[in-house]
Amino acid sequence: MAAEVKPVFRAVSTSPRPLYQLLRCIDFAQRVHVQITEDGIRFAADNSRVMQGVAFLDKTLFSAYTVNFPLSEDGETPEYPNFQIPLSTFLEILQIFGSVDMAARAQKADQDPYRSNFRNYRPSAFSNQTLGIPGTCTMLYAEEGDPFKVTLEESGIKTTSALSTYLPEMPEDIPFDRNDLTFKIIMSSRTLFDCIAEIIPAGPVKLTITATKTSPFLTLSCAGDIGSSSVDFARGKDLLETFTINERWSQAYKFDFIRHASEAMRIASKVSLRGDSQGVLSLQFMVDVEGGKRSFLDFRFVPFASHDDGDEEDDVESEAYD
Amino acid sequence: MAVLTFTLSEEGVTAFRDALNCLSKFSEDVSIEARKDSFFLSTMNTSKSAYASFRFATSRFFGRYQYQGTGPFQEKFFCSMYIRGLASLFRSRSGVESRSEGDKQSIIDRCDVAIEDGEGIKSRFIARIIFRNGLTATHRLPFEVSMPVHAKFNKQEALYHWSISSRTLKQLVDHFGPGTEYLDINTDGDHVNFTCFSEKTISDDAVLKKPLHTSIAVETDEFDDIDVEDKLQIVVSIKDVRAITQHAAITGNAIVARYSLPAKPMQISYSGDAISCEFLIMTVGERGGNPEKRTKKVRKGAANKGSNSISKAMPHLEETSRRGSSTPSQTMADIQRKQAASPSMPPPSSSRQPPNPTPRLSAARASASRIGAFDFRPSQRPPPPTLRSESLFVEDEAWEPVRDDDEDADEDARLEWDHSADPVSFPLQIVEIMTRG
Repeated sequence: MAAEVKPVFRAVSTSPRPLYQLLRCIDFAQRVHVQITEDGIRFAADNSRVMQGVAFLDKTLFSAYTVNFPLSEDGETPEYPNFQIPLSTFLEILQIFGSVDMAARAQKADQDPYRSNFRNYRPSAFSNQTLGIPGTCTMLYAEEGDPFKVTLEESGIKTTSALSTYLPEMPEDIPFDRNDLTFKIIMSSRTLFDCIAEIIPAGPVKLTITATKTSPFLTLSCAGDIGSSSVDFARGKDLLETFTINERWSQAYKFDFIRHASEAMRIASKVSLRGDSQGVLSLQFMVDVEGGKRSFLDFRFVPFASHDDGDEEDDVESEAYD
Repeated sequence: MAVLTFTLSEEGVTAFRDALNCLSKFSEDVSIEARKDSFFLSTMNTSKSAYASFRFATSRFFGRYQYQGTGPFQEKFFCSMYIRGLASLFRSRSGVESRSEGDKQSIIDRCDVAIEDGEGIKSRFIARIIFRNGLTATHRLPFEVSMPVHAKFNKQEALYHWSISSRTLKQLVDHFGPGTEYLDINTDGDHVNFTCFSEKTISDDAVLKKPLHTSIAVETDEFDDIDVEDKLQIVVSIKDVRAITQHAAITGNAIVARYSLPAKPMQISYSGDAISCEFLIMTVGERGGNPEKRTKKVRKGAANKGSNSISKAMPHLEETSRRGSSTPSQTMADIQRKQAASPSMPPPSSSRQPPNPTPRLSAARASASRIGAFDFRPSQRPPPPTLRSESLFVEDEAWEPVRDDDEDADEDARLEWDHSADPVSFPLQIVEIMTRG
């Protein structure tokens, strides 16, 4: 291959922080499925085919974004490159950013032991990032089978890493029927986060989400080792921006899976909860990223089969406060 | 059917949280006891050496309080719950607070609690927290119906007492290091000494085998009111005291401590806004030489003059205390003594001690600490029992820098540094010791 051949994909970002923030939200699987399209890169994480998280990095997040897809056999539609990379490694690489600052801070902390380490994670007013001397992050995928190269440049230090790419497993998306929605709720993502935080102390295993036409509209409930907890919106209908529902809907999910999405709940501004008639739950998060852009994170969850846990579900329901 | 329903305001939730936090430092379980007109939270630690109780004024503390006892709970309802579960309900939601700019000052609108029990009903403590933003969280915790154990304190027998601002006391207690176990409270003329020390060794390699030994002398002027026998050493667990002072400092009111002799419980009480708190903690320690002499500063009420007769009877009581075993006889409350028991367990180094350990031994080790006295190596050798209550022998031992088990006690005394503030009296005491011994 000659050097003048354009790489399949090349993207440059001058503010890699949003990339890190978004990708961290789906950091629950070892490997993440990457698909490169003209509009952006799609990272999909999958957990045992019952939970799926997708982060889509729109090309507007990058300052330069070029693709050069090889044409398929018939010479018509280009084939989107598909591969897998280890996500945690990728995140670690992105974290190199700011490490110059971190080193400076660590040095400062050494010199001044009385400096509180309280909120140390906060960027200081004099970090490179705050001062507008950001680094750049270049992602390069030369051709199929090549490693996914990430080059970070910051304060004159250049780090190049090459991530091995793996053959795509091509997991199918969890089937979610957009045309057969039972309910759709849009609310502040923070509220959902608070609801989850409220029931965490109960040590739940299973989270039951119930949407009803009438009060209490939406209930999250669980039973754990030290008791049961539930959060409802009986008095808080105003918190639900959009509330459309066809019929009563109640499904139970593994709490740990839902909790994997809590990072997304934390950084997002809005969330759209949707449930289809099969019980699949879709959580779509709208994240406001730096520069007034918006990105979306998409989670899907498969419920517990309702026939084999009917008893417990009844139990939770019967415990719901009047 | 709800046996009990009440409503807490946000401040009530905070007060509940503070109380539960304090209780959780004593035990894992909390007992709730409710009557028509009273509500108690209490706990006793597993070694039964400390008891804590909080009494809430039902009319003022609760927004609404309704007791509908039926059946076995006609008069009062009681149950026991896991503190951690309960405390998590009333935990601080500051995380929510810091993020939503809109309503920073308050998150919780109110908290409705219902305790349900009865035939055919699950025993549940149901807390319904209504947030300002409209969310409603309902938590249901199971509980066990069990009779709470209350410790009793006989105020008539508490000869000595002092009261001090809780904030002042907390500031004092804050000085004491984390590795310490015991707090010795004793008086010395115009000063009250708070000495914090530990009996356990950190590691065998260290030169200073015991962690920091901190002593603070407080002028009696700091106390609102004090009436304590001079040189009476009372030793309590610092962990308990710390838990108490932390909570007391929140209320900001004066703490009153009442106690009599070592091995008898000490009562610490204070009141907050619509809460009254009482703690009973077990003591060890020992008496100084002068039962008649009192450190006193009374603002109200006359001093208790009739105490001397009781003081005379004391050597006997002390003796039982010094044996350090769990003698049930002298305790007013059904409290065993953790503190008494632990110093009495011989440390490894004491295996060579004389085969006739006198009752003196455990107390000497537990309390051989005075202001300015570094108790690196308390003497393993007890002095003759006859000198027990008259001499200031403890002070002497405490300054022994190196222990030598073969030396006899009198020699020990002379080899030590004299740290006493009164250089004249010290040799006299030794002479006294020698003549008597």
